[in-house]
Amino acid sequence: MSAPATHPSVTPVFIRLKLAIIRNGLRQSTGRTIGWIVGVVFAMLYGLAMGVGMIALRHSEYGPAAAVGLAVVLIIGWAVMPLFLFGGDDTLDPTRLAMLPLRPRPLISALLISSLLGVGPVFTVIVTAGAVSALAGNAVSIVVAIVAVALVLLLCVALSRAVAAANTRLLTSRKGRDLALLSGLFVAVGAQLVNLGASSLASSDGLDRVKSLASVLRWLPPAPAIDAVRAATGGSYGLAVLELLYVAAVLALVIRWWHHSLYRLMVTPDASTLQAAEKEAGTGGGRLAALLPGGRTGTVMERQFRYAWRDPRSKAAWATALAVGLLLPIVAAVQHGSIYSACWAAGLLGMQMYNQFGVDGSAFWTVASTISTRADAHAELRARALALSTVAVPYVTIVTIGAALLLGRPDAVPETLGLSLALLGALIAAGAFASVRFPYALPQDNPFGSSAPGQGGLAAISLFGGGLTGAACCLPLVGLTIYLHVADHHAYLWILLPIGALYAVTLAAASLRFTAPRLLNRLPEILTAVAKG
Amino acid sequence: MPKTFEAGAPDEGAPDQGAADQGYAVSVHNLWKSFGEQVAVAGIDLELPAGRFIGLVGPNGAGKTTTLSMVTGLLRPDDGTVLITGHDVWTDPVAVKSRIGVLPEGLRLFERLSGRELLAYTGRLRGLPGAEVDKRAAQLLDVLDLSAAQNKLVVDYSTGMRKKIGLAAALLHNPEVLFLDEPFEGVDPVSAQVIRGVLERYTRSGATVVFSSHVMELVESLCDWVAVMAAGRIVAQGPLADVRGEASSLQDAFLSLVGATERGGQDLDWLGGAR
Repeated sequence: MSAPATHPSVTPVFIRLKLAIIRNGLRQSTGRTIGWIVGVVFAMLYGLAMGVGMIALRHSEYGPAAAVGLAVVLIIGWAVMPLFLFGGDDTLDPTRLAMLPLRPRPLISALLISSLLGVGPVFTVIVTAGAVSALAGNAVSIVVAIVAVALVLLLCVALSRAVAAANTRLLTSRKGRDLALLSGLFVAVGAQLVNLGASSLASSDGLDRVKSLASVLRWLPPAPAIDAVRAATGGSYGLAVLELLYVAAVLALVIRWWHHSLYRLMVTPDASTLQAAEKEAGTGGGRLAALLPGGRTGTVMERQFRYAWRDPRSKAAWATALAVGLLLPIVAAVQHGSIYSACWAAGLLGMQMYNQFGVDGSAFWTVASTISTRADAHAELRARALALSTVAVPYVTIVTIGAALLLGRPDAVPETLGLSLALLGALIAAGAFASVRFPYALPQDNPFGSSAPGQGGLAAISLFGGGLTGAACCLPLVGLTIYLHVADHHAYLWILLPIGALYAVTLAAASLRFTAPRLLNRLPEILTAVAKG
Repeated sequence: MPKTFEAGAPDEGAPDQGAADQGYAVSVHNLWKSFGEQVAVAGIDLELPAGRFIGLVGPNGAGKTTTLSMVTGLLRPDDGTVLITGHDVWTDPVAVKSRIGVLPEGLRLFERLSGRELLAYTGRLRGLPGAEVDKRAAQLLDVLDLSAAQNKLVVDYSTGMRKKIGLAAALLHNPEVLFLDEPFEGVDPVSAQVIRGVLERYTRSGATVVFSSHVMELVESLCDWVAVMAAGRIVAQGPLADVRGEASSLQDAFLSLVGATERGGQDLDWLGGAR
């Protein structure tokens, strides 16, 4: 350690801190402990499978390319990880240490070594060990392999820490956390793209493309460390040493960058306390308000729309429902599936009506303290249903017509649209009731969580039970559709559109009327339930 | 140290000092609330005179927030009645909700609205005409020194700014009784002075302010009527001078009322010793 002899090294302190954080994180609840253990087991199995898979490629001509590719995927994963998981690991946030009399150099070694503890590093070691085992041959190459694994691990961890330190200001700001939340969507979309890429690689000439890709990736650290093992096995010891030195030099640069960011972080004030840039004037009652109905209904609708755009959780939920609701019918159309898959759009959007007040969180008190009559309660529910329908009805119509055109079945538009609208109405009806009867808190600290700890059961009742109830409410219309088909009354299928629309409106209106007095009577209970997050 | 207190004895009979000429703004009878095994509020009786600046004081965990939540209709009591200006909170919400303003502690606002949008939203939910809401909002933002930040999202506000915008939202419909839970907690001195000025002006007009705090100096300088809570019970209530009694300050009176003795310090002999 580079700490002066008079000061005890901080490294053991940080190692104990890291272990204590892991332990205390597990102590919070059994559910969390079980989740963590399942996660660890899954990660270890996955790592082992990948390691074994690499070893299986030992004598394959694609072995070196695969090993190099794996190293690059690892480093990208480590570099991106802090951007998503920043809130989850306190030890990643160096500003927490700013008040302590620590010098950057001993701090860096302490942080680096404590970072080596955890599931991620173990996973990395297992996978990398598999990769080098696929390439190692003679005794020298085994020595090179051991050095290579150490270098890969250190580079991954150091880069992850350096990225976190360089972006701390962004990541601890509100805007940064909002971005991180939405980035979940990009990951989902990215995963689809990777999936697409993987399936194209799996085609006949795909593996050759891997090889040509690998010849480039070979020079992207830490891949040269892996490639050094191949070089050593082949007897090119000079190249192997050069490649190892190259990766070590990059590691030194990364640590230097980290040192620089850390130093700057600890000696400059936090800019988040300064005034944020003024936003353009948003008028209290602007263009949006002019289009909305008056009274409580319009006021609540306006806030719902603002939240759909500004609140990252609402935005993510809307974006997911819209994207998946479009994607599923398109996939079905491409695979020449059923026209009824267009109902997914209505189904996913309709589910937005569930747990309306959980989305408000403890801010629901404002709603609760301004509802004093049944009419207020009715207006509140109606506004939320209307805000949802304003988006959902046109969207469902477009998706249904689009899917019908893609499938070349424009004749099926009326019945599908009728069914979709009925489903939407049924879900709004059931959702409004479930929001009042089974409200549950959304976790405030974990944007990806669907319910606060201990409320998972309630969330499941509300969502699955509610979804089933909503679907069951559509049964009369489904029955009618089947009857018209079976009895060969195809000419009358169009009546499903007006019937479906009417059914939806009637059902939703009846449910809101039924639910409104219950909302009025349950205001404190709902507040207690949703404020727990 | 004061030894005994005559004023505001926690007996069944409601104290009638100072409230003879006016009705009670808030009257609470036998209010109970428990969370599982934990009894948070153990059957309190409280009569708060109208037109006063009333402090509800007590140590952390005394049940102040629970009491205020039940009094304002945000939490259902296990038992007991709450009347606000003579109207029952739980059977006559129409009369009560339009007459009270609330600034709760530990509950959020709709933070993804800007300060001005939040006021516009709250005022319209209260059923006020839009133009009137916007006029009042602009004046409140100005008086509370929030005009520069009116278009900033509340999520980006500091603690003091949040308290001020919360106060503005609570005042918007000109309530008769205002309930503030720890309105000065985490607020800088400048914002505190602004909040204070607004509240003093508001009570001079005959309205009632009930606020909870554990900062005795603040309560002593602001309030003319005090209720002291400890362990879910009211241990004293009455005009400030009566509750303070012969003690040199409300702080001393409070410490002896809640049974806190001079404690601590003996075992820390190294503290302040040779370094």
